[in-house]
Amino acid sequence: MARKTLRLFATLGAASAVLLAAAGPAGAAGETIGGCVLEQVHHAEEEYGSLGAVEADEKAFKDFEADLEGCVEAPSPILPELDEIIWGGLAFVILFGFMWRWGFPAVKRAMDARSEKIRSDLDAADAAKTDALRTKSDYEAQLAEAKTAAAAIIDDARAQADQLRQDLQARAEADIAEQRARAAADIESSRRQAIDDLRNDVAAIAVGAAERVVGASLDAGVHRSLIDGYIDEVAAGTSAGNGDGS
Amino acid sequence: MADQSASARIGGYAAAVLAISQAEGVQAEVEDELARFAEALRSSDELQSTLADASIDVERRLRIVEDLLGGKALPATAALVSLVVGAGRGGELAEIIDATIDRAAAGRNRRVARVRSAVELTGEQRSRLTEAIKASSGLDVEIQAIVDPSVVGGVITEIGDDVIDGSVRSRLQQMRAGLS
Repeated sequence: MARKTLRLFATLGAASAVLLAAAGPAGAAGETIGGCVLEQVHHAEEEYGSLGAVEADEKAFKDFEADLEGCVEAPSPILPELDEIIWGGLAFVILFGFMWRWGFPAVKRAMDARSEKIRSDLDAADAAKTDALRTKSDYEAQLAEAKTAAAAIIDDARAQADQLRQDLQARAEADIAEQRARAAADIESSRRQAIDDLRNDVAAIAVGAAERVVGASLDAGVHRSLIDGYIDEVAAGTSAGNGDGS
Repeated sequence: MADQSASARIGGYAAAVLAISQAEGVQAEVEDELARFAEALRSSDELQSTLADASIDVERRLRIVEDLLGGKALPATAALVSLVVGAGRGGELAEIIDATIDRAAAGRNRRVARVRSAVELTGEQRSRLTEAIKASSGLDVEIQAIVDPSVVGGVITEIGDDVIDGSVRSRLQQMRAGLS
Protein backbone atom coordinates (compact mmCIF):
# COMPACT_ATOMS: atom_id res chain seq x y z
CA MET A 1 0.00 0.00 0.00
CA ALA A 2 2.81 2.41 0.94
CA ARG A 3 4.78 1.58 -2.19
CA LYS A 4 1.75 2.12 -4.27
CA THR A 5 1.24 5.55 -2.68
CA LEU A 6 4.86 6.56 -3.23
CA ARG A 7 4.70 5.54 -6.86
CA LEU A 8 1.55 7.58 -7.25
CA PHE A 9 3.13 10.68 -5.70
CA ALA A 10 6.28 10.26 -7.85
CA THR A 11 4.21 10.13 -10.97
CA LEU A 12 2.39 13.28 -9.91
CA GLY A 13 5.75 15.09 -9.23
CA ALA A 14 7.18 14.10 -12.63
CA ALA A 15 4.11 15.37 -14.41
CA SER A 16 4.31 18.71 -12.58
CA ALA A 17 7.99 19.12 -13.46
CA VAL A 18 7.33 18.49 -17.14
CA LEU A 19 4.56 21.06 -17.09
CA LEU A 20 6.74 23.70 -15.37
CA ALA A 21 9.62 23.12 -17.75
CA ALA A 22 7.49 23.38 -20.83
CA ALA A 23 5.64 26.50 -19.72
CA GLY A 24 6.15 29.69 -21.90
CA PRO A 25 7.79 32.81 -20.37
CA ALA A 26 5.25 35.47 -21.21
CA GLY A 27 2.60 34.03 -23.36
CA ALA A 28 0.41 33.11 -20.61
CA ALA A 29 -2.94 32.39 -21.73
CA GLY A 30 -5.35 35.28 -21.11
CA GLU A 31 -2.54 38.17 -20.99
CA THR A 32 -2.92 40.93 -23.64
CA ILE A 33 -0.03 42.19 -25.76
CA GLY A 34 -0.58 45.77 -24.62
CA GLY A 35 -0.50 44.73 -21.00
CA CYS A 36 2.69 42.84 -21.64
CA VAL A 37 4.29 45.83 -23.39
CA LEU A 38 3.33 48.16 -20.55
CA GLU A 39 4.71 45.70 -18.08
CA GLN A 40 8.01 45.55 -20.02
CA VAL A 41 8.13 49.32 -20.20
CA HIS A 42 7.61 49.69 -16.47
CA HIS A 43 10.14 47.00 -15.87
CA ALA A 44 12.77 48.79 -18.08
CA GLU A 45 12.07 52.20 -16.46
CA GLU A 46 12.46 50.65 -12.96
CA GLU A 47 15.69 48.97 -13.98
CA TYR A 48 17.26 51.85 -16.08
CA GLY A 49 15.42 54.84 -14.73
CA SER A 50 13.89 55.85 -18.16
CA LEU A 51 13.40 54.66 -21.71
CA GLY A 52 16.02 57.11 -22.81
CA ALA A 53 18.58 55.35 -20.68
CA VAL A 54 17.61 52.12 -22.34
CA GLU A 55 18.14 53.60 -25.77
CA ALA A 56 21.48 54.77 -24.70
CA ASP A 57 22.65 51.43 -23.60
CA GLU A 58 22.87 49.16 -26.66
CA LYS A 59 22.73 45.96 -24.66
CA ALA A 60 19.85 47.11 -22.59
CA PHE A 61 18.07 48.20 -25.69
CA LYS A 62 18.51 44.75 -27.29
CA ASP A 63 17.23 43.05 -24.13
CA PHE A 64 14.31 45.47 -24.10
CA GLU A 65 13.59 44.62 -27.72
CA ALA A 66 13.76 40.94 -26.96
CA ASP A 67 11.33 41.37 -24.08
CA LEU A 68 8.91 43.25 -26.29
CA GLU A 69 9.19 40.63 -28.98
CA GLY A 70 8.37 38.12 -26.27
CA CYS A 71 5.12 39.98 -25.67
CA VAL A 72 4.31 39.70 -29.37
CA GLU A 73 4.79 35.89 -29.35
CA ALA A 74 1.50 33.93 -29.32
CA PRO A 75 0.61 31.86 -26.19
CA SER A 76 1.02 28.01 -26.32
CA PRO A 77 -2.24 26.32 -27.35
CA ILE A 78 -1.30 23.26 -25.30
CA LEU A 79 0.74 24.29 -22.27
CA PRO A 80 -0.90 26.63 -19.73
CA GLU A 81 0.82 29.27 -17.84
CA LEU A 82 2.96 28.31 -14.85
CA ASP A 83 0.67 29.81 -12.26
CA GLU A 84 -2.28 28.00 -13.73
CA ILE A 85 -0.29 24.81 -13.56
CA ILE A 86 0.59 25.49 -9.93
CA TRP A 87 -2.96 26.36 -8.88
CA GLY A 88 -4.43 23.67 -10.97
CA GLY A 89 -1.91 21.15 -9.65
CA LEU A 90 -2.51 22.31 -6.11
CA ALA A 91 -6.25 22.01 -6.54
CA PHE A 92 -5.76 18.67 -8.12
CA VAL A 93 -3.55 17.50 -5.25
CA ILE A 94 -6.06 18.77 -2.69
CA LEU A 95 -8.92 17.23 -4.53
CA PHE A 96 -6.94 14.05 -4.95
CA GLY A 97 -6.13 14.06 -1.25
CA PHE A 98 -9.79 14.47 -0.39
CA MET A 99 -10.70 11.79 -2.81
CA TRP A 100 -7.92 9.56 -1.49
CA ARG A 101 -8.91 10.17 2.10
CA TRP A 102 -12.70 10.04 1.89
CA GLY A 103 -13.92 9.59 -1.66
CA PHE A 104 -12.10 6.46 -2.69
CA PRO A 105 -12.86 4.60 0.58
CA ALA A 106 -16.53 5.55 0.26
CA VAL A 107 -16.56 4.43 -3.34
CA LYS A 108 -14.64 1.34 -2.36
CA ARG A 109 -17.06 0.63 0.48
CA ALA A 110 -19.96 1.18 -1.86
CA MET A 111 -18.36 -1.09 -4.44
CA ASP A 112 -17.52 -3.63 -1.75
CA ALA A 113 -21.05 -3.40 -0.42
CA ARG A 114 -22.35 -3.67 -3.93
CA SER A 115 -20.06 -6.65 -4.58
CA GLU A 116 -21.06 -8.15 -1.27
CA LYS A 117 -24.70 -7.57 -2.07
CA ILE A 118 -24.24 -9.10 -5.50
CA ARG A 119 -22.35 -11.99 -3.93
CA SER A 120 -25.00 -12.40 -1.30
CA ASP A 121 -27.67 -12.14 -3.96
CA LEU A 122 -25.82 -14.71 -5.99
CA ASP A 123 -25.50 -16.87 -2.87
CA ALA A 124 -29.15 -16.33 -2.11
CA ALA A 125 -29.98 -17.14 -5.70
CA ASP A 126 -27.82 -20.24 -5.45
CA ALA A 127 -29.48 -21.11 -2.17
CA ALA A 128 -32.87 -20.43 -3.67
CA LYS A 129 -31.92 -22.51 -6.66
CA THR A 130 -30.69 -25.25 -4.34
CA ASP A 131 -33.88 -24.97 -2.32
CA ALA A 132 -35.91 -24.98 -5.49
CA LEU A 133 -34.03 -28.04 -6.70
CA ARG A 134 -34.46 -29.65 -3.31
CA THR A 135 -38.14 -28.71 -3.30
CA LYS A 136 -38.44 -30.03 -6.81
CA SER A 137 -36.69 -33.21 -5.75
CA ASP A 138 -38.91 -33.48 -2.69
CA TYR A 139 -41.95 -32.77 -4.80
CA GLU A 140 -40.90 -35.38 -7.32
CA ALA A 141 -40.20 -37.82 -4.50
CA GLN A 142 -43.56 -37.03 -2.93
CA LEU A 143 -45.21 -37.31 -6.30
CA ALA A 144 -43.55 -40.66 -6.86
CA GLU A 145 -44.50 -41.72 -3.35
CA ALA A 146 -48.04 -40.50 -3.92
CA LYS A 147 -48.17 -42.40 -7.18
CA THR A 148 -46.86 -45.48 -5.41
CA ALA A 149 -49.34 -45.02 -2.59
CA ALA A 150 -52.14 -44.41 -5.07
CA ALA A 151 -51.16 -47.53 -6.95
CA ALA A 152 -51.06 -49.45 -3.68
CA ILE A 153 -54.46 -48.07 -2.68
CA ILE A 154 -55.87 -48.94 -6.07
CA ASP A 155 -54.39 -52.43 -5.85
CA ASP A 156 -55.70 -52.80 -2.31
CA ALA A 157 -59.13 -51.53 -3.33
CA ARG A 158 -59.14 -53.87 -6.29
CA ALA A 159 -58.11 -56.75 -4.03
CA GLN A 160 -60.81 -55.82 -1.53
CA ALA A 161 -63.34 -55.55 -4.31
CA ASP A 162 -62.30 -58.96 -5.60
CA GLN A 163 -62.46 -60.38 -2.09
CA LEU A 164 -65.84 -58.76 -1.52
CA ARG A 165 -67.09 -60.07 -4.83
CA GLN A 166 -65.85 -63.54 -3.97
CA ASP A 167 -67.41 -63.32 -0.50
CA LEU A 168 -70.70 -62.14 -1.94
CA GLN A 169 -70.59 -64.82 -4.55
CA ALA A 170 -69.75 -67.46 -1.95
CA ARG A 171 -72.48 -66.15 0.33
CA ALA A 172 -74.96 -66.08 -2.50
CA GLU A 173 -73.99 -69.61 -3.46
CA ALA A 174 -74.27 -70.68 0.17
CA ASP A 175 -77.67 -68.98 0.45
CA ILE A 176 -78.80 -70.63 -2.74
CA ALA A 177 -77.55 -73.99 -1.51
CA GLU A 178 -79.21 -73.43 1.85
CA GLN A 179 -82.44 -72.38 0.19
CA ARG A 180 -82.26 -75.39 -2.08
CA ALA A 181 -81.61 -77.66 0.89
CA ARG A 182 -84.39 -76.01 2.84
CA ALA A 183 -86.72 -76.28 -0.10
CA ALA A 184 -85.75 -79.91 -0.56
CA ALA A 185 -86.28 -80.51 3.16
CA ASP A 186 -89.63 -78.72 3.00
CA ILE A 187 -90.61 -80.73 -0.02
CA GLU A 188 -89.51 -83.92 1.70
CA SER A 189 -91.30 -82.93 4.89
CA SER A 190 -94.40 -82.01 2.96
CA ARG A 191 -94.18 -85.27 1.04
CA ARG A 192 -93.81 -87.25 4.24
CA GLN A 193 -96.57 -85.24 5.89
CA ALA A 194 -98.79 -85.83 2.90
CA ILE A 195 -97.97 -89.54 2.99
CA ASP A 196 -98.62 -89.66 6.73
CA ASP A 197 -101.85 -87.73 6.32
CA LEU A 198 -102.87 -89.99 3.49
CA ARG A 199 -101.93 -93.04 5.51
CA ASN A 200 -103.88 -91.75 8.51
CA ASP A 201 -106.82 -90.93 6.32
CA VAL A 202 -106.64 -94.36 4.75
CA ALA A 203 -106.30 -95.93 8.18
CA ALA A 204 -109.21 -93.90 9.51
CA ILE A 205 -111.32 -94.80 6.54
CA ALA A 206 -110.33 -98.45 6.80
CA VAL A 207 -110.88 -98.61 10.53
CA GLY A 208 -114.13 -96.68 10.22
CA ALA A 209 -115.26 -99.08 7.58
CA ALA A 210 -114.10 -101.96 9.72
CA GLU A 211 -115.98 -100.55 12.70
CA ARG A 212 -119.12 -100.23 10.64
CA VAL A 213 -118.69 -103.72 9.26
CA VAL A 214 -117.89 -105.18 12.65
CA GLY A 215 -120.63 -103.23 14.36
CA ALA A 216 -123.14 -104.39 11.82
CA SER A 217 -122.00 -107.97 12.07
CA LEU A 218 -122.01 -108.09 15.89
CA ASP A 219 -125.34 -109.55 16.87
CA ALA A 220 -126.25 -110.83 20.29
CA GLY A 221 -124.70 -114.20 19.66
CA VAL A 222 -121.42 -112.69 18.58
CA HIS A 223 -121.39 -110.37 21.59
CA ARG A 224 -122.02 -113.30 23.88
CA SER A 225 -119.33 -115.31 22.17
CA LEU A 226 -116.83 -112.42 22.48
CA ILE A 227 -117.62 -111.96 26.19
CA ASP A 228 -117.41 -115.67 26.91
CA GLY A 229 -114.15 -115.92 25.10
CA TYR A 230 -112.82 -112.93 27.09
CA ILE A 231 -113.88 -114.59 30.37
CA ASP A 232 -112.15 -117.79 29.35
CA GLU A 233 -108.95 -115.85 28.49
CA VAL A 234 -109.05 -114.04 31.86
CA ALA A 235 -109.49 -117.37 33.62
CA ALA A 236 -106.57 -118.80 31.70
CA GLY A 237 -104.54 -115.67 32.40
CA THR A 238 -103.89 -115.06 28.67
CA SER A 239 -106.03 -112.01 28.04
CA ALA A 240 -104.30 -108.88 26.83
CA GLY A 241 -103.43 -106.43 29.52
CA ASN A 242 -103.24 -102.67 29.21
CA GLY A 243 -102.15 -100.05 31.63
CA ASP A 244 -99.88 -100.43 34.64
CA GLY A 245 -101.01 -103.92 35.62
CA SER A 246 -101.62 -107.20 33.87
CA MET B 1 -99.85 -81.30 47.43
CA ALA B 2 -102.98 -80.25 45.58
CA ASP B 3 -103.55 -83.86 44.45
CA GLN B 4 -103.22 -85.10 48.02
CA SER B 5 -105.67 -82.47 49.21
CA ALA B 6 -108.17 -83.36 46.47
CA SER B 7 -107.77 -87.09 47.21
CA ALA B 8 -108.36 -86.51 50.91
CA ARG B 9 -111.39 -84.37 50.14
CA ILE B 10 -112.84 -86.99 47.77
CA GLY B 11 -112.20 -89.68 50.38
CA GLY B 12 -113.98 -87.62 53.03
CA TYR B 13 -117.04 -87.09 50.88
CA ALA B 14 -117.05 -90.81 49.95
CA ALA B 15 -116.94 -91.81 53.62
CA ALA B 16 -119.83 -89.47 54.37
CA VAL B 17 -121.94 -90.78 51.51
CA LEU B 18 -121.19 -94.38 52.49
CA ALA B 19 -122.02 -93.70 56.13
CA ILE B 20 -125.32 -92.09 55.21
CA SER B 21 -126.28 -94.94 52.89
CA GLN B 22 -125.39 -97.46 55.60
CA ALA B 23 -127.34 -95.47 58.14
CA GLU B 24 -130.35 -95.45 55.84
CA GLY B 25 -129.94 -99.23 55.34
CA VAL B 26 -129.91 -98.92 51.56
CA GLN B 27 -126.21 -99.25 50.89
CA ALA B 28 -126.38 -101.76 48.06
CA GLU B 29 -129.16 -99.94 46.24
CA VAL B 30 -127.48 -96.60 46.68
CA GLU B 31 -124.20 -98.00 45.39
CA ASP B 32 -125.89 -99.37 42.32
CA GLU B 33 -127.80 -96.16 41.62
CA LEU B 34 -124.73 -94.03 42.19
CA ALA B 35 -122.73 -96.21 39.79
CA ARG B 36 -125.37 -95.74 37.11
CA PHE B 37 -125.47 -92.01 37.73
CA ALA B 38 -121.67 -91.84 37.46
CA GLU B 39 -121.87 -93.73 34.17
CA ALA B 40 -124.44 -91.27 32.85
CA LEU B 41 -122.34 -88.40 34.12
CA ARG B 42 -119.20 -89.61 32.30
CA SER B 43 -121.12 -90.07 29.08
CA SER B 44 -122.33 -86.45 29.07
CA ASP B 45 -119.79 -83.68 29.05
CA GLU B 46 -122.58 -81.09 29.15
CA LEU B 47 -124.01 -82.56 32.36
CA GLN B 48 -120.56 -82.67 33.96
CA SER B 49 -119.79 -79.06 33.07
CA THR B 50 -123.20 -77.86 34.19
CA LEU B 51 -122.97 -79.48 37.62
CA ALA B 52 -119.39 -78.21 38.02
CA ASP B 53 -120.06 -74.65 36.80
CA ALA B 54 -119.92 -72.36 39.82
CA SER B 55 -121.37 -69.50 37.77
CA ILE B 56 -124.68 -71.36 37.55
CA ASP B 57 -126.92 -70.85 40.53
CA VAL B 58 -126.81 -73.73 43.03
CA GLU B 59 -130.61 -73.96 43.11
CA ARG B 60 -130.66 -74.50 39.38
CA ARG B 61 -128.01 -77.22 39.56
CA LEU B 62 -129.93 -78.97 42.41
CA ARG B 63 -133.10 -78.74 40.31
CA ILE B 64 -131.26 -80.53 37.49
CA VAL B 65 -130.25 -83.29 39.92
CA GLU B 66 -133.83 -83.55 41.14
CA ASP B 67 -135.09 -83.73 37.57
CA LEU B 68 -132.68 -86.57 36.79
CA LEU B 69 -133.10 -88.65 39.94
CA GLY B 70 -136.40 -87.59 41.43
CA GLY B 71 -138.80 -90.54 41.31
CA LYS B 72 -136.23 -92.65 39.47
CA ALA B 73 -133.86 -93.35 42.34
CA LEU B 74 -134.07 -93.71 46.07
CA PRO B 75 -134.54 -90.44 47.97
CA ALA B 76 -131.27 -91.20 49.75
CA THR B 77 -129.43 -91.42 46.44
CA ALA B 78 -130.86 -88.12 45.22
CA ALA B 79 -130.16 -86.50 48.57
CA LEU B 80 -126.54 -87.64 48.56
CA VAL B 81 -125.94 -86.38 45.01
CA SER B 82 -127.62 -83.09 45.94
CA LEU B 83 -125.41 -82.92 49.02
CA VAL B 84 -122.27 -83.11 46.91
CA VAL B 85 -123.49 -80.72 44.19
CA GLY B 86 -124.81 -78.27 46.81
CA ALA B 87 -121.40 -78.27 48.48
CA GLY B 88 -119.93 -77.05 45.20
CA ARG B 89 -118.18 -80.32 44.37
CA GLY B 90 -120.14 -81.23 41.26
CA GLY B 91 -116.87 -81.37 39.29
CA GLU B 92 -115.63 -84.20 41.53
CA LEU B 93 -118.95 -86.06 41.73
CA ALA B 94 -117.87 -89.01 39.54
CA GLU B 95 -114.66 -89.48 41.53
CA ILE B 96 -116.58 -89.29 44.85
CA ILE B 97 -119.01 -91.95 43.63
CA ASP B 98 -116.14 -94.21 42.53
CA ALA B 99 -114.42 -93.70 45.88
CA THR B 100 -117.66 -94.51 47.68
CA ILE B 101 -118.06 -97.79 45.79
CA ASP B 102 -114.41 -98.70 46.30
CA ARG B 103 -114.65 -97.91 50.00
CA ALA B 104 -117.85 -100.00 50.33
CA ALA B 105 -116.22 -102.96 48.57
CA ALA B 106 -113.14 -102.59 50.72
CA GLY B 107 -115.43 -102.79 53.72
CA ARG B 108 -116.43 -106.18 52.43
CA ASN B 109 -112.80 -107.14 51.82
CA ARG B 110 -113.29 -106.91 48.11
CA ARG B 111 -112.22 -104.73 45.25
CA VAL B 112 -114.33 -103.22 42.53
CA ALA B 113 -113.88 -104.46 38.99
CA ARG B 114 -115.36 -101.95 36.54
CA VAL B 115 -116.37 -103.95 33.52
CA ARG B 116 -117.23 -102.16 30.28
CA SER B 117 -119.00 -103.94 27.49
CA ALA B 118 -121.07 -102.98 24.47
CA VAL B 119 -124.00 -105.05 25.76
CA GLU B 120 -125.07 -105.74 29.29
CA LEU B 121 -123.49 -108.76 30.99
CA THR B 122 -125.75 -111.55 32.12
CA GLY B 123 -125.72 -112.74 35.70
CA GLU B 124 -124.00 -115.89 34.65
CA GLN B 125 -121.31 -113.92 32.83
CA ARG B 126 -120.75 -111.74 35.91
CA SER B 127 -120.31 -114.78 38.10
CA ARG B 128 -117.96 -116.43 35.69
CA LEU B 129 -115.94 -113.23 35.27
CA THR B 130 -115.72 -112.88 39.07
CA GLU B 131 -114.43 -116.39 39.35
CA ALA B 132 -112.06 -115.94 36.43
CA ILE B 133 -110.51 -112.81 38.00
CA LYS B 134 -110.11 -114.61 41.30
CA ALA B 135 -108.56 -117.59 39.54
CA SER B 136 -106.08 -115.47 37.62
CA SER B 137 -105.21 -112.79 40.19
CA GLY B 138 -106.43 -114.16 43.51
CA LEU B 139 -108.60 -111.07 44.10
CA ASP B 140 -112.15 -111.11 45.37
CA VAL B 141 -113.93 -108.52 43.27
CA GLU B 142 -117.35 -107.05 42.89
CA ILE B 143 -118.40 -106.45 39.32
CA GLN B 144 -119.53 -102.92 38.44
CA ALA B 145 -120.93 -103.45 34.97
CA ILE B 146 -121.01 -100.45 32.63
CA VAL B 147 -122.61 -100.56 29.21
CA ASP B 148 -120.38 -98.59 26.83
CA PRO B 149 -121.19 -98.81 23.10
CA SER B 150 -117.76 -97.39 22.24
CA VAL B 151 -116.30 -100.73 23.29
CA VAL B 152 -117.94 -102.12 20.11
CA GLY B 153 -117.52 -105.70 21.25
CA GLY B 154 -115.82 -107.72 23.95
CA VAL B 155 -115.00 -106.50 27.48
CA ILE B 156 -112.67 -104.06 29.28
CA THR B 157 -112.07 -104.71 32.96
CA GLU B 158 -110.48 -102.15 35.29
CA ILE B 159 -109.39 -103.13 38.79
CA GLY B 160 -107.80 -100.06 40.30
CA ASP B 161 -105.00 -99.16 37.95
CA ASP B 162 -104.98 -102.58 36.27
CA VAL B 163 -106.74 -102.92 32.93
CA ILE B 164 -107.62 -106.14 31.10
CA ASP B 165 -108.60 -105.05 27.60
CA GLY B 166 -110.33 -107.60 25.37
CA SER B 167 -112.43 -105.15 23.39
CA VAL B 168 -112.97 -104.95 19.67
CA ARG B 169 -112.27 -101.21 20.00
CA SER B 170 -108.71 -101.85 21.13
CA ARG B 171 -108.21 -104.33 18.28
CA LEU B 172 -109.40 -101.71 15.81
CA GLN B 173 -107.10 -99.14 17.39
CA GLN B 174 -104.20 -101.53 17.07
CA MET B 175 -105.11 -102.09 13.43
CA ARG B 176 -105.28 -98.35 12.85
CA ALA B 177 -101.91 -97.88 14.52
CA GLY B 178 -100.50 -100.55 12.26
CA LEU B 179 -101.86 -98.89 9.18
CA SER B 180 -100.67 -95.39 10.14
